[in-house]
Amino acid sequence: MTDRPSPERSDAPLKPAEPARKPAARAVRAGLPLIWLVPIVALIVTLGVGWNAIASRGTLISVAFKDATGITPGETALKFREITVGKVESVRFTEDLQQVEVNMRVDKDLAPYIDKDAQFWIVRPQVSAQGISRLDTVLTGSFVEGYWDNQVDGPQTRFQGLDKPPLTSFGEKGTWIVLAAERSRGMTEGAPVLFRGLPVGRMQNLRLSETDEGVLTDVFIAAPYDELLTTNTVFWDTSGFSVSLGAQGVSLNVNSLASVLQGGAEFATLTSGGAPVENGHVFSLQPDRSAAEANLFADESRALRLTMLIDESVKGLETGADVQFMGLTVGRVTRLAARIVQDADDQDRVEQEVTLALTPERLGLSGDVTPEQALDFMAGQVRGGLRARLASAGFFGTSLQVELVELPDAEPAELDREGRPHPIIPSVPGDISDFSETAQGFLTRVGNLPIEEALKSVTDMMNSVTAIASSEDTRAIPGALRGTLEDAQAAAGEIRQVTTELRESGAVGQLRRMVDEAAAAAEAVKLAAADVPAMVDQIDAAAVKIEAVDYAAIGTEAEGILRDVRALLGTEDAEQLPRNLSETLKSASGLLNDLRDGNAAGSLNNALASASTAAQDVSDAAKRLPQLSARLEALAARADAVIAAYGDRSSFNNETINLMREMRRAANAFGSLARTIERNPQAFILGR
Amino acid sequence: MSAPQAPAPVLTAHRAGLVGCRSCGRVWPESETTCRRCGGALVPPDRRCLNAVWAWLAAGFVFYIPANLFPMLKTSTFGGLRGNSESTILGGVVELMHYGNYGVAAIVFLASIVVPIGKFIAISWLALVAGRPATVRAAHKRLHLYEVVEFIGRWSMIDVFIVAILSALVQLGFVASIHPGPAAVSFALSVAFTMLSAQSFDPRLIWRGLPLRSRKDHE
Repeated sequence: MTDRPSPERSDAPLKPAEPARKPAARAVRAGLPLIWLVPIVALIVTLGVGWNAIASRGTLISVAFKDATGITPGETALKFREITVGKVESVRFTEDLQQVEVNMRVDKDLAPYIDKDAQFWIVRPQVSAQGISRLDTVLTGSFVEGYWDNQVDGPQTRFQGLDKPPLTSFGEKGTWIVLAAERSRGMTEGAPVLFRGLPVGRMQNLRLSETDEGVLTDVFIAAPYDELLTTNTVFWDTSGFSVSLGAQGVSLNVNSLASVLQGGAEFATLTSGGAPVENGHVFSLQPDRSAAEANLFADESRALRLTMLIDESVKGLETGADVQFMGLTVGRVTRLAARIVQDADDQDRVEQEVTLALTPERLGLSGDVTPEQALDFMAGQVRGGLRARLASAGFFGTSLQVELVELPDAEPAELDREGRPHPIIPSVPGDISDFSETAQGFLTRVGNLPIEEALKSVTDMMNSVTAIASSEDTRAIPGALRGTLEDAQAAAGEIRQVTTELRESGAVGQLRRMVDEAAAAAEAVKLAAADVPAMVDQIDAAAVKIEAVDYAAIGTEAEGILRDVRALLGTEDAEQLPRNLSETLKSASGLLNDLRDGNAAGSLNNALASASTAAQDVSDAAKRLPQLSARLEALAARADAVIAAYGDRSSFNNETINLMREMRRAANAFGSLARTIERNPQAFILGR
Repeated sequence: MSAPQAPAPVLTAHRAGLVGCRSCGRVWPESETTCRRCGGALVPPDRRCLNAVWAWLAAGFVFYIPANLFPMLKTSTFGGLRGNSESTILGGVVELMHYGNYGVAAIVFLASIVVPIGKFIAISWLALVAGRPATVRAAHKRLHLYEVVEFIGRWSMIDVFIVAILSALVQLGFVASIHPGPAAVSFALSVAFTMLSAQSFDPRLIWRGLPLRSRKDHE
């Protein structure tokens, strides 16, 4: 090729001069392998980078959403705890076109954690009563948010997305409970659950109960507030506002605006001793705090459900009405329905079907009793005479409640376990009809009061008194007395005369004895008179007590008393008393006449004996006064006893309640009476 | 081959027993190893130096692949909330065309796709045909091509410049920011290696393949 020695050839024979001549050629030769290191290194680096890029490209997952609002392939991010961990690669429809499948590439290091418990939802701006949230997504666009826990548990790549963000993201600790209510009042999605006004939880997943007539919502109480929950916790509705008119005036109670708009519930643990709650514990949502306090219902879902069949009107009975057992609220009425049954004569008959939800704990059963055991207990109770019946409730008696009462003499009956929709508890006619009967009976008794007889007795008594006062004998007393006094005056001189004679004849001792006897008689009269004020006091007291006493009984008693008084006044003793006095005075007068006649001192002894007998008569008559007093006393004691009987506290409550019921009916009766009088006042005056 | 316009024989330094300095162009006798004017090493033209050409070219080509596959620009708007956009060179061109910027798209396409690929082809061809028999005219063409490659090589960096300038300028913090992607480094390396490759090529080899007839005619 050339005559010049080529570098290769000049290099082959290693002559001393050659290297010095061609150093550059050698350098090139030496560099030959070295220069090829550059592309090799480049290749290695590139391959490494490429492999790294492919390896760290992440896992493709696909999440199905209802729609893909705001999702842009290649831009929308997948975020986990607000950190972008992936990106939407593509969006397409599912095969049935019902959903949108969002394919996302997730960072390699997080992919293993995305297992079956992973949740995905689309974050969009939200405007609610509690404010505006996720406003940032207005500017940046929606993104997909995901949550998964730190457990590596079989990664999967297909998921079903949530329609709305879950209440608890990011693994918040807390307790899920269920609130049950009759209506959804106060329940909305996301409504706050307060504890002493502090929001500690939220409602979610509002739904109708599958087993019962009611509404359920899930509530998440975040830790550490979930420790406040026990089985004795009560929840009540705080939505809206309430106006109450009480003794302190009008009070308006308005909660936070959010509560007014959105609803919400508050809870408190009013009694201690409850067990900690597990996830899924069901609480009953009460309409207000007072109801919650009054109604410490436990687990509504474990309530014992019974049906009672009534063939009377249930007007006034509402769902939610109390079921009472021995005065305790043990449950509530959950449903009212009517159904047609055929009685023995194949006649269609409409029966009211009342569903009761009883809380076994309130019946005294232990907390972990099963419905079956509770049913056994109830069956035993029914065998022992437990019956359900309607009873009036409330102060005005306008509403009804269900009462479980022990009626040992009731007809034997069994709890019908096969009853539909729930086991049927035998029922008895309600207390409500008794109530009307008693009202009627009361009016009858009022009508039957022996008022006329009593008045007649009083009249008779007055007549007797008048007769006594107007009898000639009584009228004769003053005249006879005057005559007697005159005679006595006239006789006094003669007596003085006689006395001197007597002094001489030794009759003084006899006379003194006679005077003593007269003094004793006078003393007896005085004692009898002394008893009278005490008797009057007793009668007074009796009258005071009588005022507060059953009129019927009082009427009867008054009749008795008056009869006694009449009998007393009608006795011959009473009639004879004046006559005796009169006769005595006549006798005294006769004696004095005899003395005046001064027939003989010898007859003085007889005369003195007669005077002694007369004095004895006066004494006897006077002694009857204490008897009368004693009888009146006894009468007062009877009245006392009557009053005492009615004052007995043990039965007084019941009687007072009955009395109040009767009073109510009586008031109505009087009202109608007043109306009658208004319409026809003459009727009252003329008695027709 | 022998065109009527260039029948004149060409005397190369090599055939004249001289060696030219690649730095300053002065020729020295072959015995000299150092240019006494500029101090550069005097290396006779040798096909083995094509090894370096191929090596640099291969390295440049290797880096050209990720330069096209990886994103060139990483744009984040509103702190990444609005989404991070990454675009490769070709993706960027398509995007620019999509938005109607055909001029810019053409420039980017030329600078980033046409020129580097053209350089690869040109250098490869030059390296393949170096020292092969050629007419004077063909040799001139090769030389011209070599000069074009040498000249245009630096302009390949236009893409890298764009990325560098954008990255420096568009740092608006939260609102928007642009960062160079891995492709920018790859592309810069690719361009650098191809430039090294072009520089490794000894243009004197072009003249090595001239027909001997011309030399004989000359001598």
